[in-house]
Amino acid sequence: MRIRIALGLVVLLALASCGSESKVTGAGGTAAGTIKLGAALSLTGKLAREGILTREGYDYCRDKVNAQGGVKVAGKFYKLAITYQDDKSTPDTAAQLVDQMNDGGIKFILGPYGSASTEAAAAVVEKNGQLMIDSAGADNAIFAKGYKQTFAVLSPATTYVTAMVKAAAELASPKPKTVAILSADDGFSKTAAEAGAKAARSAGMNVVATEFFPNGATDVSSELTKVKPKHVDLILGSVHLAEGIAIIKQSQELGVNPKGGFGLTVAVPTPTFVKTLGKAANDVIGSSQWTPQTKGRDSLFGSAEDYTTGIRTKLGHAPEYHNAEASAACLAFIEAANKAGSLDVGKVRDALASLDVDTFFGHIKFDSTGKNADKPMSVVQVQNGQLVTVWPKGPGTKPLVWPTPAFGRR
Amino acid sequence: MAQFLQATVYGLLQGSLYALVAVGFSLVWGVMNIVNLAHGAFVIMGAYVALEANLTFGLDPLIGMLIAAMALFVFGYLVQRLLINLVVNAPIWMTLLLTFGLELFCVNVLIAVATGDYRSIATSYAARGFSMGSVRVPYGRLISFVLAITLTAALAAFMNRTRTGQAIRATGMDRVTARLMGINVRNIYAVTFGIAAALAAACGALIGMVGTFSPPGAGALTLRSFVIAVLGGLGNMWGALAGGLLLGAVEAWGGQYLSGTLVNAISFGVLILVLIVRPTGLLGRPFYEARVEV
Repeated sequence: MRIRIALGLVVLLALASCGSESKVTGAGGTAAGTIKLGAALSLTGKLAREGILTREGYDYCRDKVNAQGGVKVAGKFYKLAITYQDDKSTPDTAAQLVDQMNDGGIKFILGPYGSASTEAAAAVVEKNGQLMIDSAGADNAIFAKGYKQTFAVLSPATTYVTAMVKAAAELASPKPKTVAILSADDGFSKTAAEAGAKAARSAGMNVVATEFFPNGATDVSSELTKVKPKHVDLILGSVHLAEGIAIIKQSQELGVNPKGGFGLTVAVPTPTFVKTLGKAANDVIGSSQWTPQTKGRDSLFGSAEDYTTGIRTKLGHAPEYHNAEASAACLAFIEAANKAGSLDVGKVRDALASLDVDTFFGHIKFDSTGKNADKPMSVVQVQNGQLVTVWPKGPGTKPLVWPTPAFGRR
Repeated sequence: MAQFLQATVYGLLQGSLYALVAVGFSLVWGVMNIVNLAHGAFVIMGAYVALEANLTFGLDPLIGMLIAAMALFVFGYLVQRLLINLVVNAPIWMTLLLTFGLELFCVNVLIAVATGDYRSIATSYAARGFSMGSVRVPYGRLISFVLAITLTAALAAFMNRTRTGQAIRATGMDRVTARLMGINVRNIYAVTFGIAAALAAACGALIGMVGTFSPPGAGALTLRSFVIAVLGGLGNMWGALAGGLLLGAVEAWGGQYLSGTLVNAISFGVLILVLIVRPTGLLGRPFYEARVEV
């Protein structure tokens, strides 16, 4: 009996391994008119939410282009197929999975979620001669290593806090004179905070404090206690969602009311921010890679507004910028393959390097390190529980509410 | 000075929440010699029950807390009775493995059901507060503080004054003799585990009220419970409370004078220091050392 069960298990295991192998085989883009892309995404673990949004963005792009017949390369149409693997929100796993994809013949990689995983994957991509379009790794460190095979469609980390400083300098009245910067201690947040401090100084603001706390902290009371007696005009947070919510919650608890208001990079455009904080979230500004007011259009998605409608119809929720980043990365690949007229990794890489296109995500043009350096960041503000775009000014944007009333009067 | 006072008060309020997480953890460890690595996951589950009660029925988290505690008591009872009892005599690493597996399972089920999002239970009062001079005291945290101390006191009274409590302590001291005295050890273990899970759930509801929670945060809660349980002395309810308050205050002071990124180094530094000076923990007594393991 035992032997039979053991045999059964062996057979099952063998079958299972065959099954998983067949998923990753198939050379990069010749089999039956299909181009195989791979992505290691955080589908479980602490970044699961963002990982799933990224997958939605990739899937939307794939379905959209396949519905049009596929990607046109040298007069022939190829369907897109994307293989996903779960990196469990750990960078090492993301790198291993990308390596395994290479063993399975997948040369074209769509980026994982987040700077840490992207940085780990980029090293492997470079070693293997794969090609990666990064959709969510903004840390400038990724582009400081001389990699030739990684291109990022999103604005780099240095623009996240800087955009809010610029918006405040341009739109706020009275203009904030003193600023405190609170930052998480991961590479991305620190890079953003340092660049923001520099921008604030050159805009004539006085940066009176820069405080750091652990990435993912839900208690930032120490930092707020230190900042409170300085009575600053503006508190800028270079943070993720958890720390952003903690800053607002605990500022309310501790009675920290900056005369101007709060600006919290990526926390604000996440719907959970408003949902969790309710009225306390009102008037907080944040920075976003993309908003439905972003300028530009392309033949696949149309304008940012068309993209919004498309995602709503297909997924039943409003698009978040994570969706848009992912779709934009996929779009950059399609444009490059089309331009290269070949599915040779080297040729697609060169086509990417010289890409210069307008898209629903804004302009895409990579600098020599692979960053999409010229794309402007948008600044958003929560107004009466709704997220509106306030900067850069243009059609569909709203005036900035300034200064922010104290908690309790919002 | 004002800043120091503010940090101290807030640190103690925060510490009382840490303490409440750790009380149940310490109880299970002290009585059953099980380091329950899934304890943090129970806290998060409790928070979700209270959140659901709030969203569906509009219940205040302080009432949701009771529902969460009852639900998790049943859950904890069954987990111990059906699962952990299987390995309770096995070497410690077996129980570590099992509870670690349980943690992974619970956390990933929560992510699958509720997503990895940060959640919070909204109330009209939790974030408001009053000022004592220059020190600000938020209502939500004050309520949590009072409840943490009340619950710890209630648990201590339960352990000392009731027959069930005494049976739990007796079983913790010497399982074989307890059995000879007619105590149903299986049931007592399950009740103990249930109480720990209920306390964890109550604390989860409070954390949801004053802060935020998400399933992947479970590990950090377990780790902190571990530090506090060892700091305070195993199996001692008041020890866990003292350990939690101490840790909260030390972390707050550390945050004022050092960089906030050192917070974990501070926690473990305190732990090492206390263990060097007092290996039995702050309030640990030779009482538990006398326990006979059979």
